[in-house]
Amino acid sequence: MAEKDKRISAGIAAATCGLLGAAAPSMAPAQESAPTWDIDSAVLYYGESDERVQDASLAIDARRDFGDDRSLDLALHLDTLTGASPSGAALADVPQTFTSPSGRATYTTPAGEVPLDDTFHDTRVAVDAGWSQPFARLYKFNVGLSGSTEFDYQHFGVNLGLSRDFDRRNTTLSAAVAYAQDTIKPVGGLPIPLATMPDAVDEDEQAPNRMGSSDSKNVLDILLGVTQVLGRHSLLRVNYSYSDSSGYLTDPYKLLSVVDPVTGELVARTPTPGSDGPRGIYRFEGRPDSRRRQGLYAEFRQDFSGKVLQLGYRYSTDDWEVDSHTLEARLRLPIGSSNYLEPHLRYYQQTAASFYRYSLVDGDPLPQFATADARLGEFDATTIGLKFGHKTVDGNEWSARLEMYRQSGVLPTAQLIGSQLDNARLPDFDAVILQVGYRFKY
Amino acid sequence: MGGPCEILVDGGPEIEARAACEAAAGVAARIEKKFSRYLDDSVVGVINRDAGTPTPVDDETARLLDFAAVMHGLSGGMFDITSGVLRRAWTFDGKARVPQQAEIDALLPLVGWHRVRWEASVLTLLPQMQIDFGGIGKEYAVDQATDAARRCTAAAVLVNFGGDLAITGPRREGKPWRVGIEAARPGSHAAAALTDLTRGALATSGATYRFIQVDGIRLPHILDPRNGRPVPDAPGSVTVAAETCSQAGMLSTLAMLSGANAEEFLRIEGVRHWIQRSIR
Repeated sequence: MAEKDKRISAGIAAATCGLLGAAAPSMAPAQESAPTWDIDSAVLYYGESDERVQDASLAIDARRDFGDDRSLDLALHLDTLTGASPSGAALADVPQTFTSPSGRATYTTPAGEVPLDDTFHDTRVAVDAGWSQPFARLYKFNVGLSGSTEFDYQHFGVNLGLSRDFDRRNTTLSAAVAYAQDTIKPVGGLPIPLATMPDAVDEDEQAPNRMGSSDSKNVLDILLGVTQVLGRHSLLRVNYSYSDSSGYLTDPYKLLSVVDPVTGELVARTPTPGSDGPRGIYRFEGRPDSRRRQGLYAEFRQDFSGKVLQLGYRYSTDDWEVDSHTLEARLRLPIGSSNYLEPHLRYYQQTAASFYRYSLVDGDPLPQFATADARLGEFDATTIGLKFGHKTVDGNEWSARLEMYRQSGVLPTAQLIGSQLDNARLPDFDAVILQVGYRFKY
Repeated sequence: MGGPCEILVDGGPEIEARAACEAAAGVAARIEKKFSRYLDDSVVGVINRDAGTPTPVDDETARLLDFAAVMHGLSGGMFDITSGVLRRAWTFDGKARVPQQAEIDALLPLVGWHRVRWEASVLTLLPQMQIDFGGIGKEYAVDQATDAARRCTAAAVLVNFGGDLAITGPRREGKPWRVGIEAARPGSHAAAALTDLTRGALATSGATYRFIQVDGIRLPHILDPRNGRPVPDAPGSVTVAAETCSQAGMLSTLAMLSGANAEEFLRIEGVRHWIQRSIR
């Protein structure tokens, strides 16, 4: 055997790297720099099919590490939303005219199409700030503030979290509480729940069937979690969440069609002479003023020598009777030492809210609450995505993510009447999500 | 750390020098407290107390155990962190007492890394087995303390824990650190050799203070875990220079375990070294 082959220095050096890890003394000159910002930036495009909602957004998340596990997190998110969103009104075989949310104009949906409100556009600015640090031994806490503003909606929130490590830091218990106070100031004022959509009025007139200009909503969230290290290569996290929303929970822009109890056709209406307005009867939606949600989330991560599998399941239930199941899987596959591919699969399924209606029936007593918002109906949604990441030589990371989302609703067949049995349709859609991100130190 | 410890900072603001010293001392204290075999509530104490039952360990301990496992393999079973129980038979206090073979034979079933189960982050020893991080722990502490000091100051730092040392870089104006290699002979204060270091680390394995003297022959404290007896013809001390103290320590320990072949072993490895043979 050649002398070279007997040498074990290389094996010792390699094992030492494993032992000392990132702390291994580098042979670079000992220049220790001041703390830096770790910045994650991304631009994202979200586009729904049929020229529905389009969102272009910019997100910047910055973290500054002050050592000893203390860090400051700042986030800035900008969104520009355009496009049309389903109003909740049912498809009809005649053109349908609606008064726009401002109450001062009308728009028309062609026959045979799901009505969309195309006045939907907004710009949203959101900022978050958080501080986390350890205290005592094994404890860590974080506090944060969040705020966002858009044309018709303001959000302000505070959050507080506490965690404690057990069993040589193999187990972490955490608890967090967040409180948010939001203000809704809809275009044209707050519609009276379940009131009929009136004719359009002139610029200087007050739109009828409104009950003031703004309202508020309070949300209390509580989260209890346990994270358990199951070995050097796997991790299990289980969270229980409780959320209590109260106040104005209605969507001021959503409608319900009022249909004939026999034919299922839209009940016709004639605008006041001299005015423009709906040719059918539509009512604004109305939701309860409180919602209590509970959720259970479990996430499992396993590292198969560099390949990281992440499996998640969430169950959520609430007193609106919306129960949902979410299954999610991600697999990170390293390609060489500087690239990775990450396929992503997600399946979501929910039941309809107890007050979800495809439409309202003319002559029936008005329910206390009603919505035709497809997001509160029964549906399932599938996301398929792929992310590619590349680490540069100086430790920064580029990534690109492409995802396809498909949402398909389940028609409430027991509610359908007459012609609805043939032509009822839900505002299903596909969406594409494209994100390009760059993570760097500054 | 079983010997005098010093941290030298060459220049730089005093506040940085103090921070570097405190950081390095903090690391040393943390590692000693965590891995000392003499403390019942240390990680090692708990593992040894729970011998016979699976014991989950934290990530840092797991890395040390992984390192020990690799070294066991690379050394052909010569380096073994379970060999400490042999100290029950061999007391290296300079007195002449060689244990009966029966005493050694009774302990050998408790020695051998191949007898433990080490998977994921759970270590299972056989009942009454013990581990200790002698030959790894101090060198690891030097590397970690040096790294901690490096974070505090741009000035050059030398961390010396009982003769095992590492530096963060050359002194001011690129001057090297001058380091003395301690003589293997007890009572001697003169350095056996001097060397200049601008990078890396030095580690020494040896029997300067710990040996057993039988018929005028000093048997060094290094035991072969395979037969439970001192390694024949082991040098009095071996000092090795390497990039990290952990590497240097492992090479010096393996050289000691090579006994009469220590010089040959280090020559093949091609590392800078100083070997001192006991005087018979």
